[in-house]
Amino acid sequence: MATSTPAKTVTTPIADIGRSPLRSSSRSPVSWRIGRVLGYIALAIAAAGVLLPFFWMLMSSLKTNNAVFTIPIQWIPETFVWSNYVEIWQKSDMTTWLKNTMVLALAVTALQVFTGSFAAYGFSKIRFPGRDLLFLVYLGTIAVPWQAYMIPQFILMSKINLSNTLWSIIALQAFGAFGVFLMKQFYETVPEELSEAARIDGLSEYGIYRRIMLPLSVPALASLTLLTFVNTWNDYLGPLIYLRSPEIWTIQLGLKSFVGQYNAEYALIMTGSVLSVLPIAIIFMVGQRYFVEGIATSGLKG
Amino acid sequence: MATTLAVQRPGSRLKRRNTLLGWSFILPNFLGFAVLTLVPVIALFYIAFTDWNAFGTANWVGVDNFTRMVGDRSFMVALLNTFYYAAFHIPLTLGLSLALALLLNRKLRGVAFFRTAAFFPYVTSIVAIVLVWNMLFSPELGPINQFLTAIGISDPPGWTTSADWSMPAVIIVGTWREMGYYMLLFLAGLQTIPPELYEAARVDGADAWQRFWNVTVPSLRPTTFFVTVMLTIGSFKVFDLILVMTNGGPGQSTLVLSQYIYNKGFLENQLGYASSISIVLFLICISVTVVQFSVNKRRDA
Amino acid sequence: MKRSIVTGLGIAAVVSLALTGCSSSDGDTDPGSTDPASPAAPVTVTLAGWSLATTPEFQMLADAFHEVNPDITVEVQEYDATNYDTQMIADLAAGSAPDIYVQKNLMNFFTYQNGGQLMDVSDVASSYDGNASGLGLESYQVDGATYAIPYRQDSWYVYYNKDLFDAAGVEYPDGSWTWDDYTSTAKELTSGLQGAGSEALGAYQHTWQSVVQGFALAQTPDADLLSGDYSYLAPYYERSLDLQQSGAQVTYGTATTNSLTYQSQFGTQKAAMMPMGSWYVATLIAQQANGDADTFNWGLAPAPQFDSSTTDVPVTFGDPTGLGINPGIDESKVEAAKAFLAFIGGEDAAKALAGIGITPAYTSDAVTEAYFALKGVPSDDLSKFAFSTHDTRPENPLSPDTATIQHILADAHSAIMSESSPVDAAVSEAGARAENEVLD
Repeated sequence: MATSTPAKTVTTPIADIGRSPLRSSSRSPVSWRIGRVLGYIALAIAAAGVLLPFFWMLMSSLKTNNAVFTIPIQWIPETFVWSNYVEIWQKSDMTTWLKNTMVLALAVTALQVFTGSFAAYGFSKIRFPGRDLLFLVYLGTIAVPWQAYMIPQFILMSKINLSNTLWSIIALQAFGAFGVFLMKQFYETVPEELSEAARIDGLSEYGIYRRIMLPLSVPALASLTLLTFVNTWNDYLGPLIYLRSPEIWTIQLGLKSFVGQYNAEYALIMTGSVLSVLPIAIIFMVGQRYFVEGIATSGLKG
Repeated sequence: MATTLAVQRPGSRLKRRNTLLGWSFILPNFLGFAVLTLVPVIALFYIAFTDWNAFGTANWVGVDNFTRMVGDRSFMVALLNTFYYAAFHIPLTLGLSLALALLLNRKLRGVAFFRTAAFFPYVTSIVAIVLVWNMLFSPELGPINQFLTAIGISDPPGWTTSADWSMPAVIIVGTWREMGYYMLLFLAGLQTIPPELYEAARVDGADAWQRFWNVTVPSLRPTTFFVTVMLTIGSFKVFDLILVMTNGGPGQSTLVLSQYIYNKGFLENQLGYASSISIVLFLICISVTVVQFSVNKRRDA
Repeated sequence: MKRSIVTGLGIAAVVSLALTGCSSSDGDTDPGSTDPASPAAPVTVTLAGWSLATTPEFQMLADAFHEVNPDITVEVQEYDATNYDTQMIADLAAGSAPDIYVQKNLMNFFTYQNGGQLMDVSDVASSYDGNASGLGLESYQVDGATYAIPYRQDSWYVYYNKDLFDAAGVEYPDGSWTWDDYTSTAKELTSGLQGAGSEALGAYQHTWQSVVQGFALAQTPDADLLSGDYSYLAPYYERSLDLQQSGAQVTYGTATTNSLTYQSQFGTQKAAMMPMGSWYVATLIAQQANGDADTFNWGLAPAPQFDSSTTDVPVTFGDPTGLGINPGIDESKVEAAKAFLAFIGGEDAAKALAGIGITPAYTSDAVTEAYFALKGVPSDDLSKFAFSTHDTRPENPLSPDTATIQHILADAHSAIMSESSPVDAAVSEAGARAENEVLD
């Protein structure tokens, strides 16, 4: 790359942004440490509060069915029914549901991230007539509630024989406007000078997309990946309408099958819900560092 | 923003090249979008002027659905409730998620755990969340009211069992649920701010608050804009939270437009009328979005 | 350029959808069928059912029918129990619904029938020699033609826990109660149980609107859901509020926020009495067998009455559950489908259903015997009386306005029971809304 690039290279890790206020304060070390401890305690309490529903879910997954909803709330079960965690694999098709949900989440996420970021580049970096209007059309479809056009969409999908297959959900979710919008906003934070310099160097637009935009937008891509994954993982209404045969059920659908007309196995539903949250929690804890550690900036050096 | 090409070639050849180029990027996403989403949405616009009930023919009724809407008191209630929810939910969530992102954007010990915790409400199934919050809000036996009575409030609110307090309860849960989601987006946005801007500001003698206002806020603008637009549209469209938590009740105190559309469309099978209400919801969202767009564009200049 | 493409696509889509809408509603059933299936050729018809793992009735009916008609197989397809109608409507609209499908309640029956999604089965109806009140068929008749055949008819009774009655020292119901008797007994039970050191309450009223409104509509003379005048609900609501305010039953607010389930409230002996539908018998027996519910003595009592004039044939309510035929069914399968429908309304199917604890639409002494032969069903005389003798009125009258009005009344229910709104105000508000939204 040409050395005449006007953008400054990054020399300090991004993570230091937050450090600055603390460093520049003139408080004494002792009160600073007390402040930190208090801050940690406050954070811990807040985290506990936030995790409360999950804690209840976890505890309820270890109760008997009729002990899940009682008055007053039973935070700790009287008897721990550990067998629920075994029962759910035997009694139901949890492995199939897990597999289907994973397949859907991965496929939708991959497609959404790539086609979305690709389209976002076109929307943000290339001027062509009708661009803004088209983008508004994209946004417009987000503004329409899905229940409203669900039936015409279902009829359309049935006519092209996609309904009752996993492809239906992939097709529905992979080409949404959300990913396009998110990536477009991030591309707009990338200074124009970078692309210009690359163009002078003879890089095509596709090359700029691949070599400059993608590496720079890793935090945005990471967010999009995670959010799309979570949304697809937890999607209930879509699979309810499109995935009818039990072999292609997702976890959310499968759990609902424990709700019969005259009775429901609430403890097992909670067990399934806990198992359903775990993969996402793990993915998040592992992946969240991509939002912070300056991987994003590595492409700018030189 | 200035023209992107360094070499200027005026005229239609440039336009055509750009058009082809632009479309080549957009096409993969647009094809799927157009067929699977755009077409049904356009069909929706047509259905709004008919009396379709999902099975038979859609008979054209012109603007009958819209005139009916004007005289429909439940529609008005739903409209007002939607605005009520949005008016509080948007600023609260925006503020909280930004605060969380700033707070957790540093190398604290266990920051990974705290960030995951903040995101948990979004990830947990909404049914479970609502179950637990309903129990917390339980007027006689719930911990929240027990706490309020303990600190001396003699007549604690009925929360989801009271027509006056049900919407505030829903707003609280909605904000709690989504702050992690938007925190994530803000975190990603904070990464795009080059640290030398902060350095320069500190060298100039700016304190933390001034750095926030003069460096963070302007640099975050594309992200803030995105979050605001999505949050606005999401608030106007709020549906599953209300459906599961209060089902529009007690009475109609938490009935919102999306739920009214669902009731009319699916439970009472009046898809034509439901579509016309969807169009009203759409127009509200779009007009607010357009306003936000033009405000953003003006700030850009 | 883009705009015209978009418009073109839109027009094409809309036209195709409108045409689709047309075609999915006319079944291609041609009265003089050209090629009926010969009786010997095996036929498979599809049936919609839900929660197949926990709801054995569909498979049971399919199997029982197959035994009698070996060349017709009924294949049951699984739908979601709580969102059955949403899925069915989507499937019918797209033309992918099964041949025979269940009519879960009369409100949705109306939707399907009005939308032309049910085949006329009057010929099957005339062969069905019905039960004493002939209720089931009447509910499925529109303009003189029958569109579905009922196989089950649930009614509402009062379930009571004999052990808790004994503990409180209160006499069992004798079958002649009015609602005032029920209310005073509930209060007696509550204080008696408290005295005996039990935490159980006298009664449990589940959160559904039907627990109050179903009885009110069925029992009050001249009550009419479509009239816009809902003052007939007032006395029933006053009694419910009285019960919850006096502590004889859990408040509505507590029941909703804690998601209390009626199965656990009665089954784990938190309440001595509970009005509930007849479907609960099968569930209670199963739960007592697997330990989810406690083991205790219980019985069925007929529903409390409006006044003592109807105690000989107690008035109660309940919608029938029936099967209807999808008009889009293949020509060659119509006969088989109709044969199945004729089977489910008959005595053999009824006895089989009774044998698994389901309240069939067809009633006779043989059916009652089969029902009470089931292990776990209380066999005292009052229970048998409650099961076999009742005047069951439908919960949902057939009308395009029923669904909307039921929603309005559901809002009134939550407003009244949560004590957000006084009874009279909510009732007149419901009437005003009905006028405004529907009855103009």
